[in-house]
This record gives sequence, C-alpha cells and structure tokens, in this order.
Amino acid sequence: MTTAIPREARPYDDADISSLRFWSATAEQREEVFAELRAERPVSWHRPVHNGLFEDPNDQGFWAVVRHADVIEVTRRPADFVSGQGVVFESMPQELLDAGQGFIAMDPPRHTKVRRLLTAAFTPRQMARIDDHITGNAKRIVDDIADKGEVDFVRDVSALVPMHNICDMIGCPDEYRQTIAHEAQFAGGWRDPKLMQGAEPMTRLLQAAATVRVIADELIAERRRNPSDDLLSALVTAEVDGERLTDDEIASFFNLLMIAGNDTTRQSTSHGMKALSDFADQRAWLVEDLPGRLPGAVEEIVRWATPIMTFRRTAAHDCELGGQQITEGDKVVMFYASANWDTEVFDHPERLDLSRSPNPHLSFGGGGIHHCLGNQLARRQLVATFRELLTRLPDIEVDGEPTYGTGNFFHAVLSMTVRFTPRR
Amino acid sequence: MRIIVDRAKCSSIGMCEAVAPDVFEIGADGALTVLTEEVGEDRRAEMVQACQDCPTQALSLEG
Repeated sequence: MTTAIPREARPYDDADISSLRFWSATAEQREEVFAELRAERPVSWHRPVHNGLFEDPNDQGFWAVVRHADVIEVTRRPADFVSGQGVVFESMPQELLDAGQGFIAMDPPRHTKVRRLLTAAFTPRQMARIDDHITGNAKRIVDDIADKGEVDFVRDVSALVPMHNICDMIGCPDEYRQTIAHEAQFAGGWRDPKLMQGAEPMTRLLQAAATVRVIADELIAERRRNPSDDLLSALVTAEVDGERLTDDEIASFFNLLMIAGNDTTRQSTSHGMKALSDFADQRAWLVEDLPGRLPGAVEEIVRWATPIMTFRRTAAHDCELGGQQITEGDKVVMFYASANWDTEVFDHPERLDLSRSPNPHLSFGGGGIHHCLGNQLARRQLVATFRELLTRLPDIEVDGEPTYGTGNFFHAVLSMTVRFTPRR
Repeated sequence: MRIIVDRAKCSSIGMCEAVAPDVFEIGADGALTVLTEEVGEDRRAEMVQACQDCPTQALSLEG
C-alpha cells in the first residue's frame, strides 16, 4: 500500500481530463486518454475541472476512477464513498444541492427510506402496466413529424419522449412541460457554453431552480387538496419516520425526477439514432427481426450513448482504492464512458454491436444503492421510440454532424438534423 | 431452494422482479415481497441470475 499524500502536496497526473478542451473533444478523442489511464494509472489524481464558468478556489482536485471493475467497487462501497456532499465534480453550494439533487445526493439511512417512497412507481411490473401508454406517446411524437421529411431530432423526438412520459408519471400537466424540460437542461448544462450562450452560470441555475419551484409549489398545493394516483400525490401523502415530507423536500424530488427523467433518455435516443445511421449493417440486422432484437439492441445503444458520463462521491474517511491511498474528503469521480469502453469487459467496445450479450454496461450505474431508479422506464421508452421510428420512417437518417455539448456530466447532443421520406 | 432477503440491504430497485415477476414483487409501499416460499430446482439458473442482478447484493439462496 502506498502512503497517503496530503491533498495540497499530491502531484497531478499528466493526462488532461479536467480542461474544457478535453470535454469539448469528441468521445473518440476522450477515449484515447481514458484508454491510457485504464491501462497504466487506473486511479489517478487530477486538477479540478476547469470550464471557465464556475471556479472554486478551495477545490484541490479529484481522483479519476476509469476501470469497469473499479467503478463498480466505488458504487458498492457507499459507506466509504458518500453522496451527501454532492455527486458532480464541482463543489456546489448546499442550497443548490438541497434544491436540485434530491435523494441522489443522500446517504443511508434516509436515502433508503425516501427511495422506497418512489420505487413502486418504477418497478418492472408497473412499467409493464404503463407500456401501452409509453407506446402511445412514442406514436404521437412520430405522428407529429411523419409528414415533415426533415426535423431537428433532438427538439422533436429525443426531448419529447421522456418529457411526456415522466410528466405523465409525476402528474405534471401539459402546459408546464416544455418550460420544465427546457429549464431542466441547465441543471447539467450550466457547464456548457453552447447551451448557456453567455449567461452567468450561478444566476442561470438559480433562475432555473426558481422557475421550476413556482410550478412545483403550485402542483404540490393542488395535490395536497386533491390527491390522485400520480407520483406527486404519493409524495405529498407519504410519511418518513412518522413525518410528512416538507414542501422543500418534495420540490427537490420533483426537480431530480425532472432532470434525471428528461436529460438522460433524451441523450440515449439521440446517440442511438446517430449510431443507427453510422452503422448501416447493424441497423439492417436489427430490422430483420425488430421485436426480437430491439430489447438487446437498446442495451447496446445505452452503452454506446453513456448519457451520464460522470458521477462523483466523496471519501468519508481515509481508505484504499485500486492501490491508492484516499484521504477523507477527497473527491472520487467515476467515469462511466471509460468503464463502458473497458476492453477487460467488452470485446471491441469501439464497434456498435447490437447483438452484444452479455452487455454489462454501467450506464445505469455500477449497482449499489443509487442504481438508476428509471432504468426500466428508460429501456421501455427506447424500445417504443425506435420501434415506431424504424417501422414508420424506415429510411430516417442523420443528416450532417450533430452539435454536441461540452459539459462533463451529460453526454449531450444539442441538435441533430434527420431526413426521411415524408408520410402523408 | 429458498430465497433469503437481507432487509437492511434491499433498496427495492426491482431488478429481481424484472428477472422473475412471479417470484419477486415490489409492493405499493416499496417493500420487496417474495411470492414463492420454495422455488423449484428447475429454476435455479433464473434465481442465481436474480441474486447476481441485485445491485445491493440483498438476495441469496438457501438450499
């Protein structure tokens, strides 16, 4: 075992995974750096992320965890690597953590109790029950573009599928959906200059939080008067340790569900469409038996997309990880995009292989208590969306290069033109 | 064989239910119920899969 080096004296790794330049590069270019780290320095100490938008003078850096096995290990040691101090690279003010990250930035025992309030709505059984509904939303979205021949896929398909499904589940009426889906982007996207267009990040984040809060408060008050069978009603009537949740807590869960529910499946849908355009042979194989092959293909699309590229933990005490001595308070960041390309686990990860089986990708997390609550919902939405698209618009293709985000959290596609033969 | 649930670990994520919905059910209260006390030997592979899929390692087999 190596001896612990205090944070301030610890040398930084030579590989650059902290700069805006790194996060502005393509996924393939980033993978070259990850491959080197996986092979030679699987747990390495790095400079704080720098994106020119939000700097914290007290931030001394982070450990990068890049191997598949190590990401799983961090995930499954929640007592050593805690979430309560934040789950993204940056040290966010506590008020924003509380307002925006809900139970994702919580530790047991409270996390376990709060998560159970919501879990019943996301089980495989419940998803099977609402599958017709998910299919209906996908159909409607494809109906709306079918006669157009050319659309921005992100705006008209990827963004709408999860927005309608998560809002249906939560119980958020149509009139607020576009506003919330738009504002939810800033929760991860404030790091992205292309999305921010000059807005000051903290100001814009607080503005987004305030806009969503006004809507959440109105809906919470309405459900307190008239509970129904949606998620928001479940939250207003639920008790944890004999106490009702406060409006602040419910609003925070509302925020988390909106962010996690909207911005993840959106990215997977876009990357999936791009991949199906780029790998014609794979697409041909898929459509030969769409119902039989789509569920497996969706796993590969989710691996390929890796919609969330990073999550952070904080060391609760001094401990060891991958031969490195970690000090209490160190930030430990898991790189899912790297884990999903680990050649120890995936044969030719650079190839889209829709028949890949088993496919132990970590896009929903490496197991453990924070494993993606919406994993079944995401899978069903992707199946429904690609089934509709490939059946009804069989020649749909991406036209030109998408515009990718430059953030370090969501693997964002900001816009992407698709063309197809219009259907009358 | 019997299925043992470690209640301290179970976070009701429902991966087991995805493998075998007739054996595992997450109820409306968010708690996991094992619907079948004894599971036949012919389903061992499936039950091993359910244990392996559990993100919090809350499931084990006895017998």
